[in-house]
Amino acid sequence: MTEYLIRRTLQSVLILLLITVVTFILIHAAPGGPKQIYLSPNLSQAAAKVQEHNLGLDRPLPVQYVNWIGDLLRGDLGYTFKNHIPVGEIIWPTVGHTLVLMGAAWLLTLLIALPWGIYNSTSEYGLSDQTASFIAYIGFAMPTFWFGIILQELFALKWNLLPLSDMWTMGKEGQIGDLLLHLMLPVTVLTIGFLASYVKYARSSMLEVLDQDYIRTARAKGLGEGRVVFRHALRNALIPIITVLGLDLPVLVAGAALTENVFNWPGMGRLFVQMAVAREYSVLMAITLLTAVFVIVGNFVADLLYALVDPRVKLSRKGGAAA
Amino acid sequence: MAEKLLEVRELTAGFHTERGFLRAVDRVSLSLEAGQTLCVVGESGSGKSVTSLAIMRLLDYSGGTIAGGEIRFRGVDLTELPQREVMRIRGNRLTMVFQDPISALNPVFTAGDQIAESLRVHKGMSPKAAWRKAVDMLRLVGIPDPEMRAGQYPHEMSGGMCQRVVIAMALACDPELIIADEPTTALDVTVQAQILELLQRLKRELRTSILLITHDMGVAAEMADRIAVMYAGAVVEEGTAAAIFERPRHPYTIGLLRSIPGTTGERGTELYTIKGGIPRIEQLPGGCRFHPRCPYAMENCAREEPPLLEAADGHRSACWLTDMPEVMT
Repeated sequence: MTEYLIRRTLQSVLILLLITVVTFILIHAAPGGPKQIYLSPNLSQAAAKVQEHNLGLDRPLPVQYVNWIGDLLRGDLGYTFKNHIPVGEIIWPTVGHTLVLMGAAWLLTLLIALPWGIYNSTSEYGLSDQTASFIAYIGFAMPTFWFGIILQELFALKWNLLPLSDMWTMGKEGQIGDLLLHLMLPVTVLTIGFLASYVKYARSSMLEVLDQDYIRTARAKGLGEGRVVFRHALRNALIPIITVLGLDLPVLVAGAALTENVFNWPGMGRLFVQMAVAREYSVLMAITLLTAVFVIVGNFVADLLYALVDPRVKLSRKGGAAA
Repeated sequence: MAEKLLEVRELTAGFHTERGFLRAVDRVSLSLEAGQTLCVVGESGSGKSVTSLAIMRLLDYSGGTIAGGEIRFRGVDLTELPQREVMRIRGNRLTMVFQDPISALNPVFTAGDQIAESLRVHKGMSPKAAWRKAVDMLRLVGIPDPEMRAGQYPHEMSGGMCQRVVIAMALACDPELIIADEPTTALDVTVQAQILELLQRLKRELRTSILLITHDMGVAAEMADRIAVMYAGAVVEEGTAAAIFERPRHPYTIGLLRSIPGTTGERGTELYTIKGGIPRIEQLPGGCRFHPRCPYAMENCAREEPPLLEAADGHRSACWLTDMPEVMT
């Protein structure tokens, strides 16, 4: 176990390092590099050179990369070009805001999707199952920003029931009730989007398990359907669902750019779009890196959960979770 | 006459499909007295497994239905009971051992857990007491170091060991009848012998009755008090093991016995086979269902279905040829 953790951590560090290289190259290869955004066209040639030199932009790319990594290791994410604010100061609050929004949407999704999917697996093609399919089509087909705008139009503008956007009403910052009201619309938009696939996963995973020999054995033992479904089938059905959860975990941090923009939610997604427009490279790289960390951590957590649910999975010396 | 432990009368069961009802089991009658072993023998597709699932009332969960007949267990007709009441008998007084032991055990629970569960559900035992009894059951079925094995998962055990666990599970509540559906088919030959021996010993020691489903005449010879031979969904011959082996009446049974590879015959002689294959349920021939493959078929056989008639004391056969000459065996 300890050996597994160490190996896994080393692998993660290596992957992260590779990601930093790729990120750095991509950002610098993009048209309209940092020079153009920072250096005003009115600046004289000589003044521009001085500026470039001060910012370190005249040095070769590998050197710039090593400097950046060095700062990163000391916890220094760099400064924005524009107002020279530390990047960390900008990013950290948005991470929290995004986690609140996405966490709420995700929790709600799982709370609805798992029971619903399980129920549908026991009554295939019933009314409830058909309804889930219908919602799935809508959820997949409907652009989230459009759905968000429709909800704003109805619930905020027309009926005046819920706040239009933002995270808090001005002057009420920190009040839970106010936060919950603001969460309603964006969480609805996100949940409808997630719900579709999770109900389907839960249903198909359960259906497959309910067909297994050991379920027949459980029935032959004279167990009630409740025990058969929730004790014998569910634990086996959770295994593939965990895979999907692990893969979706990064969405928690990065995936809600559109929804955050529509509802003016001060999270990472919105920040990323703003900073991309402003060509704030240090912020963009920091967000990309952070997302990468979440992906790696997500997979790691999924592997640990596997071992928890499925005794056949041993966290072995040979890298990942092996069945 | 003493009350029969299990009495199946005219059981008809099968599956509803788009093309109508598929009659996998056709008016099958079986009976079993306490302390005895009845072997139901037949090829795959003969309806043996559907019969066993019907008796357990598990057919409903496999998409099948019981279309007629009675299944009397200690006089109570199981077909009349709602599932809620069957559950109190199933896994308790009437239990089942399945063909493939590895897939029959739930991979995410330990062996001890799965045995203890029956005891907790049916006998209301505390978790601790149930676990202790589960360990005792593992010892009873001959698993070495049962305390350790009880804490293991199915994937940590061999197929033979898993089958012992399944048998321990079936025996835990001290049932009156165990239905074993091809309990040795998925196992290695040496392990097969061990499992059969175990079943024999348990039957002697615990006086449990066994309904053994098998395609293997050799297994039946070793285990059975009585034998019922099934062909294409119906019982074609039924009698004591001795009678069936010494003086089989039905041409199908005779064919089955002749096609057992022997060790005494001359080398190089061709193994006897019954020509053709078992008919599909939806294409059963008229008259006797065996007549297209029967070497003794007569004109009458294609027209009229022979009833299961008493040929000798307690020995019944469904064949028009009532005086099967001895020489044919």
